[in-house]
Amino acid sequence: MFDRTTDPDDALLSVLARAGAEAIRAEAEAVLPQLGEVEVIRSRTGLVMLPMRDPVQGTEFHLGEVLVAEAHVRLPEHGVEGYGMVTGRDLERAMAMAVLDAGLQAGVEAARIRAFADAQRAAQQAEDHETLRRIEATRVDMETF
Amino acid sequence: MAYVATRGGERAIEQAERMYRAQTGRITPSRVKEIGAALPALVDRVMGEASLYAPDLAALALAQSGGDLYEALLLLRAWRTTQPRLQVAEPVAADEGFTHRRISAAFKDIPGGQILGPTLDYAHRLLATQVLEGEAYKPAAVTPAATPAPARHPSLAAWQVAQGLVEPPMADPVDRDAIPDLTREPLLFPAKRAHTLQSLARADTGGTLALGYSAMRGYGTAHPTVNELRLSEVEVRVRHPRGVTFSAGRVKTSQAEVVTTKGKDRLRLGFAATLGWNEVKVISAATLDLNSPGAPKNSPVNEEFFLYHTEPVESSGFCIHFKLPHYVTFQSSLDALRGAQAKKEAPTPAKTEETA
Repeated sequence: MFDRTTDPDDALLSVLARAGAEAIRAEAEAVLPQLGEVEVIRSRTGLVMLPMRDPVQGTEFHLGEVLVAEAHVRLPEHGVEGYGMVTGRDLERAMAMAVLDAGLQAGVEAARIRAFADAQRAAQQAEDHETLRRIEATRVDMETF
Repeated sequence: MAYVATRGGERAIEQAERMYRAQTGRITPSRVKEIGAALPALVDRVMGEASLYAPDLAALALAQSGGDLYEALLLLRAWRTTQPRLQVAEPVAADEGFTHRRISAAFKDIPGGQILGPTLDYAHRLLATQVLEGEAYKPAAVTPAATPAPARHPSLAAWQVAQGLVEPPMADPVDRDAIPDLTREPLLFPAKRAHTLQSLARADTGGTLALGYSAMRGYGTAHPTVNELRLSEVEVRVRHPRGVTFSAGRVKTSQAEVVTTKGKDRLRLGFAATLGWNEVKVISAATLDLNSPGAPKNSPVNEEFFLYHTEPVESSGFCIHFKLPHYVTFQSSLDALRGAQAKKEAPTPAKTEETA
């Protein structure tokens, strides 16, 4: 979740999944030539069921399904795999995420990919910050008479 | 009910469909994009009822159905069946979302404070007729506060549990892949709570409102007060093949807790949530949840009554099926009626004969 303490890989993958479509595609295209052969294991859309915990009785129940795009690649020359999943139906975004994940695993252009993720993280945090400033403007302090 | 095969009318059927589709004309990517941008509340409503979070597809379904919500839902529910289930995400807690709006009508000073968020609750409802005269309506921009709101707000129910005002949640955690799922198993009664809440999450907004409103007006067992209403975006946290978890993105959700003081010695809560932002639905649905324990059979707040009657595809489908040919069943009833009339007019026989 938003500010839950997570394993660093976890946070980085979340940042990549939220990265803008054009930005991540351009980054993946720049990294791709250095990766050698890329074998696509999977590229598809599908559904992820989203459960919620009921605050009254603590029961976990399904809210509904979320459409996602999923990509899974392998770099045979490096013996590693990469995986991407993003909400929506943009297969290229998911593939770009999988390519960058594979690059990180293979240690190819890893510094560049981390720098990209850092820039994206900063942009995402700034976006959230601005949204939360607008939300804060609606804080109400009602007085009863 | 009986069905009968009919033949003929292919040409008329083809032309009738064309006539329907001529009303909406050409569907272009820009039209779908405009629907998505201009009608977020409608897109959210359709996604919640379709039980499928896919804003682009919901906008497309609305374009294709010309705004007929039940047709749009049917398109989305049908499309959903073409997609594989990839996994079940990590369950989200009610207080975990990136919160845009969170209010309480029961408690003024709630921990974390009251955040109105995007709402027309206190706005004048004036139709902007100047738009029809050629003058665009441009809403004023929000003036942001100097400091941001916290992204997360504590759950009011958790605070009430700590205060000893409500019973603590008792359910044991369930493995996410073992959570009961209505899309794969039938709804049976008495319903599992997981089924009830899933069914309400995908229920028809109008149906939920009608039955929830009947309870609010007095045909239920408890009058609701909104304990907490929350609009958030929650993370869809999925498993990576390496075993770590990450967020694949955020989706909008609505949650409502309603409360009654009609408990034994504590407050009693009802809850509902749905995909998308749809306040009327979650408040009505939470009211039904609050009222259902011990409700009389055949009352609008009996869970079998409200869960069956608020399933949008089944209820709208059953309603419109009555337009389809029922000639044989109707003729049979008509024959029986005519037989009865003939008997009534005929001189009274010594013994009436049973109609077959």
